[in-house]
Amino acid sequence: MLRSYEGTRYISDKQVIVLDIGSAYTKYGYAGETAPRGIINTEIKCPESRELRKIYSYKDEDDLYQLLVEFLHMIFFKCVVISPKDIKIVILESPLIPSKFRNTLAKVLFRHFEVGSLMVLPIHLVTISTLGVDTLLVLDVGYQEATLIPVFEGVPILKAWQALPLASKAVHESITREMKTILSETESTEKLIENIKVRTCFVTTMERSLKLETDNPFKPPPDVKYYTTRTFEIPGSVREKAFEVLWQRDNDNLSVPTMILDSIIKCPVDTRTQLAENILLIGGTVMAKGFASRLKTELLYLLNSELYKEKLKIKTFKFHTAPSKPNYTAWLGGAIFGSVDLPSRCITKENYLELNRVPDWVNLIDNRKDEASNTI
Amino acid sequence: MSDLMSPSSRRFNIKIGSGALVCEEAILKGDITIGSHTVVHPRASIIAEAGPIIIGEGNIIEEMSTIINRISPDDTGTPVQIIGNYNVFEVDSTCEASKVGDNNVLECKAYVSKQVELTNGCVIGASCSLRDEEVVPENTIIYGSQCHRREMNDKPYPQLGQLEYLMKMLLGYHHIYKPNMPPPKTESST
Amino acid sequence: MAYLFQIDCVRYACSCGSLKSIAKIYFCRHCLSIRCGYCVCHEVDSYYCSNCLENPPASEVRLKKYKCSNCFDCPCCFETLSIRSGQVLVKSLHTTQEESKPVTKKIYYLSCTLCRWSSRDAGIPDQTVATGSWREQESPNTYRITALINFYKILGSIEKQQKERKKFQSKRIFLQFEKFGITSTMARKRVGQLPLLQSNTQSDQPQPSEASEEIEELSQDIFTKSIDITKITTLDQRLQHPELQVENINELRPQRKQFIVKRSQRCRFCEHTVSKPDYCPTSTKFKIQLAAFYHVPELRIVACEPLRLGYSSELLLKFCNPTQHQTQIILLSMDTPMMPTTTTLQGIKEEINRENVQMGCDSPNLLPSAVRQAIVVEEGRQVNIVINAEVILPSSSFILPPRDDAAEYDDPSDSQNSQDDPKLVVWRKGNKAIIRLDVIPYVDKDKMVKDEPIVVGLAMQYGYINTIATLEHKAPQKLDLKVKLFLTLGNLVHNIL
Repeated sequence: MLRSYEGTRYISDKQVIVLDIGSAYTKYGYAGETAPRGIINTEIKCPESRELRKIYSYKDEDDLYQLLVEFLHMIFFKCVVISPKDIKIVILESPLIPSKFRNTLAKVLFRHFEVGSLMVLPIHLVTISTLGVDTLLVLDVGYQEATLIPVFEGVPILKAWQALPLASKAVHESITREMKTILSETESTEKLIENIKVRTCFVTTMERSLKLETDNPFKPPPDVKYYTTRTFEIPGSVREKAFEVLWQRDNDNLSVPTMILDSIIKCPVDTRTQLAENILLIGGTVMAKGFASRLKTELLYLLNSELYKEKLKIKTFKFHTAPSKPNYTAWLGGAIFGSVDLPSRCITKENYLELNRVPDWVNLIDNRKDEASNTI
Repeated sequence: MSDLMSPSSRRFNIKIGSGALVCEEAILKGDITIGSHTVVHPRASIIAEAGPIIIGEGNIIEEMSTIINRISPDDTGTPVQIIGNYNVFEVDSTCEASKVGDNNVLECKAYVSKQVELTNGCVIGASCSLRDEEVVPENTIIYGSQCHRREMNDKPYPQLGQLEYLMKMLLGYHHIYKPNMPPPKTESST
Repeated sequence: MAYLFQIDCVRYACSCGSLKSIAKIYFCRHCLSIRCGYCVCHEVDSYYCSNCLENPPASEVRLKKYKCSNCFDCPCCFETLSIRSGQVLVKSLHTTQEESKPVTKKIYYLSCTLCRWSSRDAGIPDQTVATGSWREQESPNTYRITALINFYKILGSIEKQQKERKKFQSKRIFLQFEKFGITSTMARKRVGQLPLLQSNTQSDQPQPSEASEEIEELSQDIFTKSIDITKITTLDQRLQHPELQVENINELRPQRKQFIVKRSQRCRFCEHTVSKPDYCPTSTKFKIQLAAFYHVPELRIVACEPLRLGYSSELLLKFCNPTQHQTQIILLSMDTPMMPTTTTLQGIKEEINRENVQMGCDSPNLLPSAVRQAIVVEEGRQVNIVINAEVILPSSSFILPPRDDAAEYDDPSDSQNSQDDPKLVVWRKGNKAIIRLDVIPYVDKDKMVKDEPIVVGLAMQYGYINTIATLEHKAPQKLDLKVKLFLTLGNLVHNIL
C-alpha cells in the first residue's frame, strides 16, 4: 500500500491556494494546512472612486470583473504572497451562487491571472472530508443566507436543499433596528453592529424566548457599556433578542430549524434517521453562544408539533464537531481536498481557454451520465 | 501671554514648588499651584478659569498641551482641578478633567473633558478623546481611531529619566520662574 | 500644475483601455506600446520582512510558512511588537551557600508601542534570548487533520489507479465524492446496498467523527452576570488568529509577521520585463524600470481660461520630451487609428505590424518562441469617460528638442525656435514647450445637467527612436507612435446673465 506517504507531509512543487469567497468574509490559505492564513472582509477599495466596496455589491459583469481583479490581486500579493501564474487554485462555492459570479470568477482567474488549474468544490459536500464520514446534513449559516444540503454516502441530495435569507445580515438588521434610539444612522456601521453582536449578544433559550413577547418576560440580562469614540449602553433586551429573527417563523412557517426538518422530509425514508444523527453546523453565525443548543431544543419541540408529528419518526438529533471553528470548516474541507492530487477534477487553463466555460451542475452538458462515469 | 501683567503680579497667584521647572514662555493664568519636580515646557498653557488648579509632583507638561479648569454653567461654587503626581501631558493634548490621579499619560492630541475623572495609570492614546461623563478605571488604555479600551497589566512607568534630562536641558535654554513655595514639610522633616 | 496633487488631470490611455496618469504607466520598448499595472503580468520577485528587512530566498520562505521568524504582530492592535529587555534578580541555584548573591539576568519580553500590550499581559514567560525562542501556538487539531489529509491522499491515488484499470474492472467509488450530485433516486438505490466499505483501506482510515447528542448548553450565567466589554476581544482580533478565535483578551497570542513581497512586472505580449526591483529590501531602486515618463512625452496643463458653454476658452499645455532624441509632436483627433507608423527612406508612410517591429526577440535571455506559452488574451477595458468639450486642433506640428541635462544650467537665450508657428507655441525652453489651444464645451442639454468636470480628448503623435535595434548593430528605427490623452479641465463657470 501507499504507506510510505504516511507521516511525512509531502511537499508538492507548487502551493495550492484555497479560497472561500463568502459574501461577508473571504477565507484564504494553503492546501494541507490546518487553518486559513487569514479571514478578511470580502471588500476592496475601488481604485477609481476610492471607496470601499463589497465584492457582492456588483452592478454588472464588467463591474464584478474589475472588482474581482482588484480583490484577487490583493489576495495574491498581500495575503498569500504567491505569483498566481500557473498555480493551482481551489475555490469553494455555494451551490446557489449565481452562475454570473462563478463564470466571471473563472474568467478573472484564467484570463487575468493566468492560473494553471482551478478546482471548484461545493461547500456542503467538501465539508464531509473534515470529519471522515460520508453521511452528513450540512447547515451553513453565513452572512447572506442559510443553506442546507444533505449528503448521503458521499452524494449530495440536491432535491432536499434548503435556503433562507436567515443569517448574519438579518441579525444585523435586527440589532440596528433595536439600537436605533441609541445609535444614529451614521454611527451604526455594519462593523460596529457586527462587533456588538459578536461581543455581547447571544442566542437565548427557547423557554425565555417564548416569554419575551409576553407581558411578564424574564428579567433581561444586564446592560453592557460599550466604548468606542462615544460611550453607550447596550440594553440587555437587545443582547437577548438579537438572534430571535432566525427562529421566528415567517409567513410560510419557515425558520432555521424547519429547514432541517423540511429537508429531512424530502429525503428518502431510509436515509432520514442517519441524516438526523449526522448534523454539522458551519458558517460564522452558528458560532453565536447558545446557537446549537437552541437549535436542538427547537428541533425536538417541532418534532412533537402538529406540523411534523405525523411526517417524521425521528427521535434524536446528533451533532458533529469538526476539527475547526465553524466559520472556516468549509475552507478546511477545501484545504484537505486541495492537498489531494486529483487532476481529473480540475479545470486546466488549456481546457478553459478552449471551452471558455466552467462546468456547472445546472448545465446539461456536464450532467450527462457518460459511460466512463464511475457510479453504480 | 498677557503683556499687561508684570511678572510679579502674574506670579502672585502662581505657587511653584521647590525643584519644579516652569518656563517663562508657558502660559499660566489664574490660581495655579505647581508641585515640586514638575516640568512645564514653553508654550504649555495652564488656565485656571473657573477655579484653582493644583498640580502635583513630577509631572511633565509638554509644548502646546493645555490644562484648563473650564467654566461650565452647572458649576456650583468654585471647582478645583486637581492633578496628581508623575503624569505626562504630551504635545497638544488637552486636559479638562476635574481630577487626574497619578501616573497617567495623555498622548499627543488626546482630549479629556471636564466630566471625566482619571484615576491612576491610565493612558489616553494619541488623538483619542473622552467626552462622556465617567470615572476611568485604573490602568485603562484607550488607543486607536476607534478608541478601543483595554486594561493594562502594568501601569506606565514614571518618566524619571526624562524628568532628570529635561531639568538639565531646559535650564540651559529657557528663562524659568523661581520656585516660591517652601519645600513641603514632609520633605523638610526627613 | 496638473501633477503633484492632481495626478489624474491628464490621463493616458493604455493599450488595454485603462486610463492612468503618466506616473502609473509603462512603455514596453519591445512592443512599442503603453502598458499599465492592469495589463502586465505581476510576479513575486523577492520576499522580505517589513520590520527586520530579512530577505530569505524563496525556498526558505516556504519552509518558514511565509512568516518572519523574528518579528511579531501585536494581537491587540496589529502593529509590530518590539522586543524589550529588562533585568531580573535570579537566585543562583548552583552555589552551595544558602545566602548566595543574587545574580542579575537579562530577560526579554514583547511589547507594543501603540496599545501597550505586552507578552506579560498574556502570561507568556519572559525569554532569556531575544529572538528565536518565542514559541508559536500549535493548533490542537493538527494531528487529526494530518490523518484526514493522508487518508484522502491515499483514496485519491487509489482513484487514480482505478481510473487507469477501469476498463477491466467493475467500477467502485473509493473517493466518495460525486461532483455534480445525483438525484434522490440514485441515493435510494444506494441505501439498499451494503455500505461501501473500503476493506483494503480500512486500516488507514482515521476514526470517523462521532456525532453526539450532547451539545454545549448556554451557560445560565449569561442572564445574570454583567460583562466587561474591555475584556472581550473584537472580531478583528479573533480573526487575526483563525485557529483559536479566543474570546478573552488575555488569551491573545502574538502572531508572526507575514513576509511582504517585491513584484516584478512583465509585458504579457512579448514577455519582456517592464519593471524589476532591486533584490535588496533596503534599496528602492529598480534594475529595470521602463516607466512611460522616460519614453513618452509628458503633458501638463499650465492654465485654462474659465470654461463657458459654447464659448471658446484658451488652454495652455506644456509638453516635455524625456528622451535623448528630437521628437515631432502632432496633435490629432480621437478617432485616428492608433497603429504606429514609420516613414521609409522614400518618404512613404507605412504601418508597422508587430512582426516588422524590430523586436530584438532573439536576445538570449528570452525563451525561444516555441517554448513560450500562448498569450492569454484578456478583453480590453472599456473607456467609460464622456468627452464633453471640443479642442480646436492645430494644423501644424511642433518639435521638441532632446533632453539635455547640462542645458538646465545654461543661459536660456536661444529659447525661440524660428520654425515655430507663433500662434501655436507660446513658450519654449530646452526640451519643453507650451502650446496654446482653444476649447469649446459642447452645447448639449443632457450633459449640462450633470455637474461634471469638462473632459477633452486628443491623440498625440510623437516620434520615437527604437534603440533596441542598435544592440544588434542595425540602424535605429524611426517610428511615429500615438497615444490618446484625456484632460480633465475643471467645471463649467455658470454664465452670469
